[in-house]
Amino acid sequence: MREDIIQYFRNIKYAVTSVPKGMMVTLKNMFREPTTIQYPDRIPQKIEDTLPLNYRGHLEVEKEICTGCLLCEKFCPIDCIRIDVHKEETGRVLHSFKIDMAKCMYCGLCVPPCPTDAIRFTRKFEGSTYDIKSLLFEFIDTPTPVYKPNRDKDKKEEA
Amino acid sequence: MNNIAITLHNFIIENFGIDINLSLAISYFLIALIFWSFLGVIGGLLTFLERRVAGRIQSRIGPNRVGPQGIFQMLADGIKLVLKEDLIPALADKPLFRMAPYLCVIGVFSALVVIPFSSDIVVADLNVGVLYALAITTMVVMGILMGSWASNNKWSLLGGLRSAAQIVSYEIPAALSVLSIVLITGSLSMQDIIRAQGAWPHQWFFFHNPGTFVAFFIFFTSALAENNRVPFDIPEAESELVAGYNTEYSGMRFSFFFLAEFANVFIISSLAVIFFFGGWQIPHFLISENHIITNIIMIANFLFKTFVFIFIVLWLRWTLPRLRVDQLMTMCWKYLIPISFICLCITASFVLFFGGKSMIAVFIGRITQ
Amino acid sequence: MYELEKNNDNTMTLNMGPHHPSTHGVLRFILEMDGEIILSVKPDVGYLHRSIEKIGERVTYPAFMPYTDRVDYVAAANCNVGYALAVEKLMGIETPERAQYLRVIVSELNRIISHLLMTGVLAMDLGAYTPFLHAVREREKINDIFEILCGARLTYNLATIGGMPFDIKETTIRKCLEILEGLKKFLKEFDDLVTNNAIFISRLANIGVIDKETAKAFMLSGPNLRAAGAHWDLRKNETYFLYDRFKFDIAVGSGKAGTLGDSYDRFSVRMKEIETSISILEQAFKSLPSGEVQAKLPKTLKPPKGEVYVRTESARGELGYYIISDGTAKASRIKIRTGSFAAISILDKIGRGLMLSDLVAFMASLDLIAPEIDR
Repeated sequence: MREDIIQYFRNIKYAVTSVPKGMMVTLKNMFREPTTIQYPDRIPQKIEDTLPLNYRGHLEVEKEICTGCLLCEKFCPIDCIRIDVHKEETGRVLHSFKIDMAKCMYCGLCVPPCPTDAIRFTRKFEGSTYDIKSLLFEFIDTPTPVYKPNRDKDKKEEA
Repeated sequence: MNNIAITLHNFIIENFGIDINLSLAISYFLIALIFWSFLGVIGGLLTFLERRVAGRIQSRIGPNRVGPQGIFQMLADGIKLVLKEDLIPALADKPLFRMAPYLCVIGVFSALVVIPFSSDIVVADLNVGVLYALAITTMVVMGILMGSWASNNKWSLLGGLRSAAQIVSYEIPAALSVLSIVLITGSLSMQDIIRAQGAWPHQWFFFHNPGTFVAFFIFFTSALAENNRVPFDIPEAESELVAGYNTEYSGMRFSFFFLAEFANVFIISSLAVIFFFGGWQIPHFLISENHIITNIIMIANFLFKTFVFIFIVLWLRWTLPRLRVDQLMTMCWKYLIPISFICLCITASFVLFFGGKSMIAVFIGRITQ
Repeated sequence: MYELEKNNDNTMTLNMGPHHPSTHGVLRFILEMDGEIILSVKPDVGYLHRSIEKIGERVTYPAFMPYTDRVDYVAAANCNVGYALAVEKLMGIETPERAQYLRVIVSELNRIISHLLMTGVLAMDLGAYTPFLHAVREREKINDIFEILCGARLTYNLATIGGMPFDIKETTIRKCLEILEGLKKFLKEFDDLVTNNAIFISRLANIGVIDKETAKAFMLSGPNLRAAGAHWDLRKNETYFLYDRFKFDIAVGSGKAGTLGDSYDRFSVRMKEIETSISILEQAFKSLPSGEVQAKLPKTLKPPKGEVYVRTESARGELGYYIISDGTAKASRIKIRTGSFAAISILDKIGRGLMLSDLVAFMASLDLIAPEIDR
């Protein structure tokens, strides 16, 4: 009984002391600068420029140095990369290199295997669109012969 | 001259010479229109204020796009809510469902009748003003209960039942703590209560005696609970009951519930100022010959104090978690009611032994003797 | 007006979820209620099932790595390194020391992220919205570190089999230590705002008490088990990576607010674990060895026939990968054991007799994450 009474007053005391403590914390936060930014229009610099260099944004392909080895297509876990390479008289020719960015999960598995760094990440990340088909990126406009690295030259450079 | 509707009525009679009854009706209608739209604007302003305060507390910015500093956000919100489709569930009790938000709004807005903004500006200085204010705001519970039952939704019903238990219980400590003020003044009229206080802090009832000092906190807490504000927002409790009693409401009807809640924040803050912090009282040197200027200063003073308390309400909301239903009842019946009784006794003994003088007055009296 | 149970006219069946605000994702509970009191809880899982385990049989071993992110998106790094460890054990690959250190660093950073979210969400479920946003604010700073390390903020995919695909720079370490200092200050502030708040304590103390025996019987693991008073932490008891090189204490429930194993204990164990993680990180940064981060591997990974079960201490308890290999480049079977799935089974046992508000608090204190339950 006596303990109950003591507990009763202890409860009151604890409630009365702990609530102002919490309120002081929120008051302190009120006078701090907000950490949010007003994306997308009222920002000091473009978000893309503030991202680290290895940010995994949209993929891009440099068709001039693509060797058509199909490693990226093979490594992609969800088959969002489609490459069309035909054997013609002059050699192998790239006819299309499609990446479905709507499907892509930005895992980054396609980038490391590429022997020439033809496929790589950009820092672009704004992909919202009214038409999902516009996210199907095509990197080859005219049929391009595949890049053939000069093996001897590369070996010399490595050495 | 303590009733502006009558003043206006006399003014109309003198200048236009129309029928007395018609003139009374017109003057009361006009005053009601002005005051209600004032409270509507205040309610809207509070929704904006709440979002800005919450934003800053949470390291965010808050709405700042519509108008300067986002002040017209309330208009944007209001227009959006009005234009939204007004859904009524197929199995809802339609007449009750439609009626509930209006009951809430009427309950809150009617309390404005007795709130004095200055020594002259009050719609009606009833001689039972305190009783009226406490009683009419409880009408909200009927609206909430009605809406929750009519929604035909289990979550709504749970919210409504919680609300009924909560509001009715917390009416008691609120009334008990105001009772100690009534003991000192011996009047239930709001204007009398304010006139019994002064402009300076030592003349406020807040510092009158230990009883009223504690009574203020009890009044404020239970007024918060009556208004379903955090930490007592269990009828809405969005993480438990989805949205409580207004789960099924949308558009206009939802905005009425919303408006009622925010108008009620203004009402409870102004009641706290009136009962404990001197209301519109201003120091003597500020009272000028010009009646209008004096009144404007009084209104500004009153609104300033009220907004301080509104800020505290918002501040509390963004700090504390909510209580559980049974803890809420425990707090009311085991803590607030006994303590408010003790406060009442302390105040009563003060009134008995020192003839209603405040603690500070008694103390100063002792020293100067 | 209401559909009443035919057997008992006084109870009400309440459908909580799958889009209820406090079920944390799409999770559904069928509650039988007597007023506010809960008579039984029937969890209905499967709304977030993405058949990740089946996908594991279809893709190659390295290609399954991004899918492990999605098992538990709040602690994706823990899932990544756990899977990498399992495949490495299956193939008998030795991971370089620096890569192991990096794995410890990312696991602990991710544990902090996860626990910050849990404590914030718990406060939000109790009605205080501000602590949640404060916790998320601090969490974002650590997400920035992850962005610098691997280029993603949530689904990191930051491990490769046999090592790590990135190395940590000196500047990143400095920035990380700075953030950890700030985090310590924030934790003190958080104590005032939440941990020591009277309402908060009264909402959590003595609610949903899970004693040690029950916890073991229901296979609870991780912080939920430790809160019940069991000294069981895979980082210590079954040490992996190089956790044996770090000095840290297992955070165990103390029952200081009420009973041992109540919701408050589960909360405070996580708060303590954030501090533990900070100290591990500081030790790791100090003693980070130099060297390679990636072991030499064949071009296509073909583990030998066999099976392996590797468990690691994720933020939500034991995260186990059971992999059966048939000697090809794709796994024959991958089974993932997660902490949340074990934790959800205890809801009915402990949830009976609680009030609706308590159930919300209890659920939040178990730290359930819907994608981890369904996978």
